[in-house]
Amino acid sequence: MGRSKVDLAIFVGKRVVWFVPVLFGLITITFFAGHASVRNPCAVWVGPHASPDTVRNCIEYFGVNRPVWDQYTGYLSNLFQGNWGKDPQGGQPVLPIILTLFPATIELLLAALFLMVVLGIPLGVIAANAGGRWPDHLVRLFYLGGWATPAYLGAVVLAIGIGPVLGLPNSGDFSSTPDPGWQLTHMSILDSILRLDTGALVDAIAHLILPAASLALLNLGIATRMTRSSMLEVLPLDYVKTARMKGLSDFWVLYKHALRNSLISTVTVLGTTAGSLLSWIVVVEEIFLWPGIGKYAFDSILSYNFAGTLGVVVFFAIVVVVANLVSDVLYGVLDPRVEWR
Amino acid sequence: MGETVQPSWLSGSRTRLWSAARAARGLYRVLRANPLTFVGFLMVAFIAILAFLIVAVPFVTGLFGPPVSILPHDPNELLPCAIPTECATSPSAQYWFGTDNVGRDMFSRVLAALPLDLAIGFGVAGFALLVGTGLGLVAGFWDTPGTLGGALSIAIMRITDMFLAFPSLVLALAIAASLGRGTGPALIAIMITWWPFYVRLVRGEVLAVKHLPYVAAARAAGVSGIQILFRHVFRNILEPLVVYYTMDVGTVIVTFSTISFIGIGVPPTVPEWGGMVEAYEKLLLTAPWTVLAPGAAIFLTVLAFSLLGDGLRDILDPRSRRALVQTTTAPGLASKGAAEA
Amino acid sequence: MAPGRVVGIVGETGSGKSTLGQSIPRLLPEPPARIRQGRIVFQGSDLLSIPKWKMPIVRGTSIGMIFQEPINSLNPAFRVSDQLIEAVRIRKLRESGEAELFRPTEGFDYSKDRPVDPKEAIGRTFLPSAPEGRRPRAGRTSEELRKDALEYLRLVRINDPETILDLYPHELSGGMRQRIMIAMALSEKPTLLIADEPTSALDITIQAQVLTLMKELMDEVNTSILFISHDLGVIAEMADDVGVMYAGGIVEFGPVAEVFERPAHPYTKGLLESVPNRYKADGPLPSLPGSVPNLARLPSGCPFHPRCVFARPPCEPDPGPALEPVKGAPAGSNRRAACYYSEEVVRLK
Repeated sequence: MGRSKVDLAIFVGKRVVWFVPVLFGLITITFFAGHASVRNPCAVWVGPHASPDTVRNCIEYFGVNRPVWDQYTGYLSNLFQGNWGKDPQGGQPVLPIILTLFPATIELLLAALFLMVVLGIPLGVIAANAGGRWPDHLVRLFYLGGWATPAYLGAVVLAIGIGPVLGLPNSGDFSSTPDPGWQLTHMSILDSILRLDTGALVDAIAHLILPAASLALLNLGIATRMTRSSMLEVLPLDYVKTARMKGLSDFWVLYKHALRNSLISTVTVLGTTAGSLLSWIVVVEEIFLWPGIGKYAFDSILSYNFAGTLGVVVFFAIVVVVANLVSDVLYGVLDPRVEWR
Repeated sequence: MGETVQPSWLSGSRTRLWSAARAARGLYRVLRANPLTFVGFLMVAFIAILAFLIVAVPFVTGLFGPPVSILPHDPNELLPCAIPTECATSPSAQYWFGTDNVGRDMFSRVLAALPLDLAIGFGVAGFALLVGTGLGLVAGFWDTPGTLGGALSIAIMRITDMFLAFPSLVLALAIAASLGRGTGPALIAIMITWWPFYVRLVRGEVLAVKHLPYVAAARAAGVSGIQILFRHVFRNILEPLVVYYTMDVGTVIVTFSTISFIGIGVPPTVPEWGGMVEAYEKLLLTAPWTVLAPGAAIFLTVLAFSLLGDGLRDILDPRSRRALVQTTTAPGLASKGAAEA
Repeated sequence: MAPGRVVGIVGETGSGKSTLGQSIPRLLPEPPARIRQGRIVFQGSDLLSIPKWKMPIVRGTSIGMIFQEPINSLNPAFRVSDQLIEAVRIRKLRESGEAELFRPTEGFDYSKDRPVDPKEAIGRTFLPSAPEGRRPRAGRTSEELRKDALEYLRLVRINDPETILDLYPHELSGGMRQRIMIAMALSEKPTLLIADEPTSALDITIQAQVLTLMKELMDEVNTSILFISHDLGVIAEMADDVGVMYAGGIVEFGPVAEVFERPAHPYTKGLLESVPNRYKADGPLPSLPGSVPNLARLPSGCPFHPRCVFARPPCEPDPGPALEPVKGAPAGSNRRAACYYSEEVVRLK
C-alpha cells in the first residue's frame, strides 16, 4: 500500500468491483417491490376507461402476465444488452430518455454543490473562529434554519414567491432561450460556453440559479457544520500557532493552514451528501420543472413506470458511488498521510 | 438499633436526588454557554406538551361527556361563505392563521396535524434507532472473520451499504408508491429506508471504542463480551446516538411531509403539514397564509429538534465541548491576577 | 531579559509555564483568554497595547517560538519546503517593507505608529489581498527563497536538506521535525526565541542532540531565549537565569547556579530535592507532598502554603508575598523570591 498511481488505480478498481453487487441488490429490491405489489400495472397504464382489448394488448406487449421471476431474469439480461425496457406511456426506450435528461441533473447537482462549498465553507470558518459568540450563533441559526426548511417548501416559495419578483425565468420554461438548438452536452451552461454564446450563458445561469439555490441553501448546513466542527478541532493545535508565529495574518492562518486540514473531513461529508441531495433533487426538479432525471423519477414512480424507475435507480446509484469515490480520492489528495487501500 | 439504620430506599433516593441536582446544575451551565440550545430545548418541550394536550384533552373529557377539544374550530369544518372555492380569508382575531379556499380554519388544521407529525417523527426515528443500533452493535462488535458473527457482520454491512448507496427519499417514494397510497404505506416505506444510517453510525462508534485501552484492559481482566458491550461500548456510543436521534426526529418529519406533499402519503382529509403545503401551493400568491402556516409549523418543529441536537453535539462531544465551554467557564489567563483580585 | 541571555522557566505540570510562553506573542485565543493586568514590555513597547491585527508583524519579525510536540507543530498537509519557505518569504516581505505600513526596526515602539484607517486594518486581517500571499519583490524568485530555506536547514545541521525539504512532516522523525521547527523559528531572525519544552517529547538521545544543537546555535545567532522546561537538568545546562513557577506565578528568580545551589523559596528547595540523585541511592526519594492547586480555586494566602514545611501565620491569611530581593544573598546577584522566610530558606543547607 502506498500513494503511487498504481495504488490509486487498484483502490478505484476495488471500489468499482464492490459497486456491482450493491447495484444488483438495489435493482432486485426495486424490481420486486414494484412488480410484487402491483399485480396488473397495465390497468393503471392504459387508464380506467380503456377497452379490454387495449388492456390485453398492453399485457402482451409488456409481458406483465409472465411469472415475476421470468420478468426479472429477462429484465436483467436485457439490461446488459442496453435494452432497459420501454416507457409504458409513449413506448419509447428508457435508456435514451435517461441519457438525455441525466446531464441536466448533474448540472443542477454540481451547481448546488458549488454554492454549498463557496457559501458553506467560509460560513463554517467564520462560525468556528467566533466559537461560542454571536457570529457563531447567527451562522448556526442560519444553517439549521435551512436544514429545517423542507425542500418542497423552500422550492415552492422560491419558485412562486421570489423568482417572479427578481424577474428570473420559470426554470423549466426554456422558451426564452435564445437558440433552441443548443443542446450538445445537455448541460445548458456547458453548451453555451462551448458555443461561445454569452446570451445563452446568461439565460442558462438565470434558469439554474433558483433551483440550485434552493438545493444549496437547504443543505448548506452539511458543509457549514462539518467545517465548523473540524475547524474547532484544528484551531487549538500547535501548527496553527506555528503559522501565527510566522507572522501570517488571521486570513492566511485560517484559510490556508487551518482550513486545509479541516477540509479533509468536510470533503468526506460532502461526498456522502450527494445521496441526500439526490433525494431533494427529485422534489426540486418537479417543482421547478427542471428537465432532469429527478423529475423523470418523480413521474415514473407516480405512474408505475417500472422500467423508468429502475433506470433512474441505476443512474442515481452510479452518482452516489462516483461521488463517494471522488470524495475518497480528494481525501487522499488533501491528506498526505493517507495510503490507498 | 433499628432506628439508627437508615432505610436503604431513603439513602438511595438521596443519592438519586443529589445526582439529579448535579445533572441539573450541569445542564444549566451548558445552557448558559449555549443559548440556542436552550431555545431549542424550550421549543421541543412546548411542542411536545402542546401535542399531548391536543390528543389528551378530547380523550379525557370524552370519558365524562362530549369531548372538548382545545382547538378553536373543527379542522374539517367548513365555515360559512358565499362562493365555496373562494373562501380564503386573511388572518384575523377569530381565525388566527386565516382560512383556506374552502373556508376551513388554518390554525386548527395546523395544530390538528401536530400530534400525527410528531408521533411519526419520534416513532420512525425510534424504530430505526432500535433496529439500527442492534444490527450496528452486532456488526461492529462480533466482526472476527471466520466466525458466525463475522459472516453476519459482513451480511449486515453489505445490505446497509446497499441502502446507503441510494437516496433514501427516492427509495421511500418508490416503495410507498408501489404499496399504494395512504399513511400506512408511507410509514412502512420510511421505516424500511431509515435504519441503515444508524447501523453505520453505531458500527463506526463501536469499532472506534473497541480498541481503546480501557476496553482492552477490561477484556484482559476477564470481563465477558456481553458485559463489555453493555458496560463500556454501549455507554460510549450513547452520546452520539442521542444527538443523532434528536436531529433525526426532525429529518423524519420533513421526509414524511415530503411524501405527503408529493401526494402519496396521508389522504387529503387528514390534516398533515406536507399535504397542506401541496394542497395550497397554488394559493401562495393570493392567500400566502395557507402555505406559510403549515410551512412555518414544520420549520419551527424541525428547527427546535435541530437546535437541540446540534447543541447537544457540541456539549457531548468532548473535543468541541472543550473548545466551546472554555469560552465561558475558563478562569482566564491571568490566574495570578485573579488570585490577587 | 537582557539581549543574548537565556532565561529558563521551570515548574511542575500545570504551573502555567506554557501559558506564560504563549501569552508573550499573544497566541492564546482571546477570548477565552484575557490578560487582566500587567504589561508585556518588548523592545520598549507594551505588546498589550498593540492592536490585535498588528501582532502578526511582531510575531513575524521579532519573536520566534518552538513548541513542545513536534508531531503537532508542523502542518501535516504541507511539505517542509512550503512551510519553511513561507516563513522565509514573510520575513523578507516584512524586511523590504512590502507587507507593512512601516518597517519595524530594533527598539521600535509598535504601539505608537501613525494612526491607521480601520478599514485598512480589517483588510489586512481578513482579506486575501493581504500581501502574505505574494512573493517578495526585489528579485526574490522561488529558487532564491528555496536556497534561503536550504541555508536554514544546514544551519540546524541537517545533512541532506534537499531531500528533507520535499518530504511531508509525517515522514520525518521527531528530532528532525524539531530541527525544522528551530530552523523555521530562526528564519524569522527573532530577537526573542521562546522554546516551550522543545525536548520534552523526544527520546533521551535525540534530546541531547537537539540541546547540543541549540547550545551551538546560541553562540552563532544572537538571540535572547526563553527556555521553558520541567526538567531541572536541562535548565541547568541551557539557561543563564532561571525563574521558578508555581501556580501561575514566578516564585523565585536568579542566576541558575545560585538558585540551584542555594534556593531561597521552599518550593524550589522541594523541587530540587525530588530530583533523583544517582550518588545517593539509599533512603527513600524525598518528594513534594500534594499537587499544584487548580488555578481556578487557589488557596487563600500564599498559594504554596498548604504544601510548605515553613508555613506559619503571615503565609495563610495574607495574600501571597511579592517577588522581592533575597536578603542574605550575595550582593549584585539579582536574586529574588516570593517568600516571607526566604532569608531562612537560603541559610539552610
